[in-house]
Amino acid sequence: MIRVQDLTKEFTDLKRGPVAAVNRVSFEVKPGEIFGLLGPNGAGKTTCLRILSTVLKPTSGQALVAGYDVARFPEAVRANIGFMSGNTGIYDRMTACEMVEYYGRLYGIEENRLQDRIDEIFETLQMNEIRDVLGLKMSTGMKQKVSIARTIVHDPPVLIFDEPTSGLDVLVARAVLETVAQLRDAGKCIIYSTHIMREVEKLCDRVAIIHKGDILDTGTVEELVEKHDQPDIEEVFFKLIRSVDPTENTAQSGMKFIS
Amino acid sequence: MNWKNIKLIFMREVRDQLRDRRTLFMVAVLPLLLYPALGIGMMQMMVAMDEQVQTVLVVGADEIPEPELIREGHFAPEFFSFANDAKKLRVITDGSLSLKNAELDEDSFSKFQDFLELIDKERETLNRLADIQEQVFGIKDAEKPKVELIAEEADLRKQVTSWFSVAPAQVLVVFPNGFKKHYEAIDDHFAAGDFELSDLESSPHAIILHNSANEKSNIAYQRVRKALKEWEKVLLKQRLETASLPIYLPDPVQAIAVDLAEADEIAANAWSKIFPALLVIMCVTGAFYPAIDLGAGEKERGTMETLLISPAMRTEIVLGKFFTVMLFSISTALLNLASMGFTGRHVLTTVGNAGSSPIGDLSFPPMLSLMWVVLLAMPLSALFSAMSLSLAMFAKSSKEGQYYLTPLLMVTMGLTMFCLSPSVELTPYLSILPVVGPALLLKALLLGGATSSAAWVYVIPVLLTSSFYSILALWWAIELFQSESILFREAEQFELGLWVKHLLRDKEATPSFLEAGVCFMLISILQFNFLTSIQKNPSMLADPVNMFRFQLIYLIATVGVPPVLMAIMLTKNPLKSLKLKLPSWKMLGAAVVLPLSLQPLSLELLSRLDHLFPPVPAGAEELLKAMSSDAVPLWLTFVTFAIAPAVCEELAFRGFILSGLQRSRHKWLPIVISAVLFGVIHMIPKQMFNASLLGLVLGLLAVRSRSLIPCMIFHVIFNGTQILIPHLPEKTFDGNLVHFAVTITKGEDGVVTAVGFNAAFLAICLAISATLIYWLVKHGQSPEDAEPHQSSDDRLIVE
Repeated sequence: MIRVQDLTKEFTDLKRGPVAAVNRVSFEVKPGEIFGLLGPNGAGKTTCLRILSTVLKPTSGQALVAGYDVARFPEAVRANIGFMSGNTGIYDRMTACEMVEYYGRLYGIEENRLQDRIDEIFETLQMNEIRDVLGLKMSTGMKQKVSIARTIVHDPPVLIFDEPTSGLDVLVARAVLETVAQLRDAGKCIIYSTHIMREVEKLCDRVAIIHKGDILDTGTVEELVEKHDQPDIEEVFFKLIRSVDPTENTAQSGMKFIS
Repeated sequence: MNWKNIKLIFMREVRDQLRDRRTLFMVAVLPLLLYPALGIGMMQMMVAMDEQVQTVLVVGADEIPEPELIREGHFAPEFFSFANDAKKLRVITDGSLSLKNAELDEDSFSKFQDFLELIDKERETLNRLADIQEQVFGIKDAEKPKVELIAEEADLRKQVTSWFSVAPAQVLVVFPNGFKKHYEAIDDHFAAGDFELSDLESSPHAIILHNSANEKSNIAYQRVRKALKEWEKVLLKQRLETASLPIYLPDPVQAIAVDLAEADEIAANAWSKIFPALLVIMCVTGAFYPAIDLGAGEKERGTMETLLISPAMRTEIVLGKFFTVMLFSISTALLNLASMGFTGRHVLTTVGNAGSSPIGDLSFPPMLSLMWVVLLAMPLSALFSAMSLSLAMFAKSSKEGQYYLTPLLMVTMGLTMFCLSPSVELTPYLSILPVVGPALLLKALLLGGATSSAAWVYVIPVLLTSSFYSILALWWAIELFQSESILFREAEQFELGLWVKHLLRDKEATPSFLEAGVCFMLISILQFNFLTSIQKNPSMLADPVNMFRFQLIYLIATVGVPPVLMAIMLTKNPLKSLKLKLPSWKMLGAAVVLPLSLQPLSLELLSRLDHLFPPVPAGAEELLKAMSSDAVPLWLTFVTFAIAPAVCEELAFRGFILSGLQRSRHKWLPIVISAVLFGVIHMIPKQMFNASLLGLVLGLLAVRSRSLIPCMIFHVIFNGTQILIPHLPEKTFDGNLVHFAVTITKGEDGVVTAVGFNAAFLAICLAISATLIYWLVKHGQSPEDAEPHQSSDDRLIVE
């Protein structure tokens, strides 16, 4: 469903010149699987996922999403994915229903099928009471529900979540994680980026640890723990980062705090 | 492109804007309230201004001859066009003061008394001042005024100003003692028929003292002057009768002015001044605020990325937003105009007593004119919508977006002011300029009558050119929206040093779009500086050889050097940036044949269209004449006007600038823009037109051959033939073949005055040129050139 081969994205930085935010990254995600991208802030997770959602264009390498090359058929890719991140806001002056309807129409869903689909999603996500509430008046949790509804309105085979729980309280975050797990069970191909170890342990079937644009290792949580001989994924993570970047020691306490 | 998506986005954006109270306020509420409020405010101010009565002090009122000038403390109303105006001047005379005027209170009475005494003392000074004024500026003495007199005048004037500035009256009229007696004596002489001219010359003058720098004094003086003029007319008539001369004597022509203007035409005149300006300004403001919300606002609120990951293409998103902004721009403009028109009709005219109100009768303009307003609002608002949207896309936040409004408004205001000036009228040249063209066309069309029927020819060109500018601006917006660096512009600290280092270090193979723009700006600025420096010492150009040398240096320094330096410093591959590589033989062939076949066509076209362009400025005319004269060695002329422009201009426009423009996805637009820029740099309208057309062919040649060499050859041949033909020996033109094609007329001084072409010859040229250009467009790419254009990131992607 998702196949990424040697994907590289360079940005030009005023101070440092060209910088690879994502550096020759390769991985694969199958249907019915949640693939985790675990890394600290600035590791290149968002850049990588933006390339997969065709918002950014790769400098080199290839990425196939739902069978389409992101560089050559961006429209086809976008029609087959649902993307949700902290940056994908919802409109203030639109109600929940209008917002989901609008995106449903942009995805080209037939009008009567769209209404059924909206009813269905609003039912499962329990958001019938916010149907006619303007985005402006919604709480963060409500907004997140609308975002999820918007992401899955066209029932895409591939779903991309970029730190979907950042800034949410524990209750809402838990609800989001449950929804993602349900989507996996429905056979979706899911890629999920986060810097929170617990989420990886609970949710991800396989995980890639990414740091400064490089994937340091990939595997299931158990495989990684065993391979690196560490008690849990968190220690694996720090060991891997220290191995490439010994100066990162000081950051350890900070990372622990976040996780 | 999917119109369904564009419509979806458009409908959503419109609904979103309509739910925004700020937008509604700007677009609908503000204009509906603002103009009536302004109208009422203006009326009240006019009423308030009317009530201000100015005071005129007349000294020597007893010396005023008949008919009666002053009656009951005012000038006699029959000397004013509107009798009511007489009431706006209060006249105090020394006679009425001695009787102690009842209108004056004790305090001002004593003020006037003191002032009168002062004038009695200063009478000599006043007389002397008037005397000098007459000698210096009057008609009596044709000799040059003496320096001492001028100094004395300044001195006296200072003295008088010092006491007049605190005077209780705004205007002082002084009739000298014995004025009436002298006047009557002359009348008697006239009646008896024994008058001497010297009598008239020696007659004493009345003096009117006022200060035109003081608003009140100036208003009062204008009224006094008009009243005195009318009064003098009566005096003159009486005197002519006394002298038994016809009263028409001072009026030998007796022209009678007949005003055909109807009330609605007067209104049309007023509207033709107000509407275009208001339309332009309102189109900008109406476009700007929604654009900021739809561009920078969406980025800020994080909904932009949501939209970007929907299946809608970026072009569709921009178009959807563009149509929304345009709708609001047009609505704002039209609502403002409607509200303004309504206010003009109902508020101003009902109260302002039509004829006498300063704006005139403001009835609503006719329906047809209103249709023109709506039609011309389209291209204007399209242009401003696309420009505002580009700026809004560029801005990181709404706040940053707001900063861009001021420069945009300033430029627009400048253009509007220019159009408002009554002396500026629609010409072919002005009609093709952005904003100015539609504004002037609207001005002409609103005027009605002959002016508007003359303006009809411009409708199509104005609509075409302004549509072109709108499309260009829209293209810019789409380009910006495609650019990752702009869409995800991060708020990083900007440091000039770092940025320059970055430019020099992280070079790309060919120049960027921005660098191409900077190159053009640099050339323009350098040219401007060079030109102003010559204007400061025109002696430099007296000698044609010097002039040519200067022109040569000027070309190399301002046009040739910038692109070369920029290519070396800012790009990895300067040779590629400047397209310096060997072309194919076919291209070289085209480069030799095309200029020869295009030359006659170009000359013919220019001579046909000559009347459409404003005359060539004197300086340039000199230069053109010198080109074909014998005063300058031929080689110098050839180097200056054929080789140097070919090398320098090609390096700049088909080299660096075109390479930068080609970085965009478009195939043809870079050629068009580089051609337009090439035209703009020529400054003289006729040359601009010609150069733009040639720029298209040169651009095509450059893009197809990927080399500058064919362009340079084309340019040398094109310019060279123009220089060489006049210098060829007479015999050359004797052959039958030449006679078939060309007829050259030379003036008395041997300078070529006209080159005429045979129609059949022109047809052959046209056929050859058209075939070659068609070949360039269709099949011009040779196999080795067909390799994909390798360049930065997004070039390989087919969308």
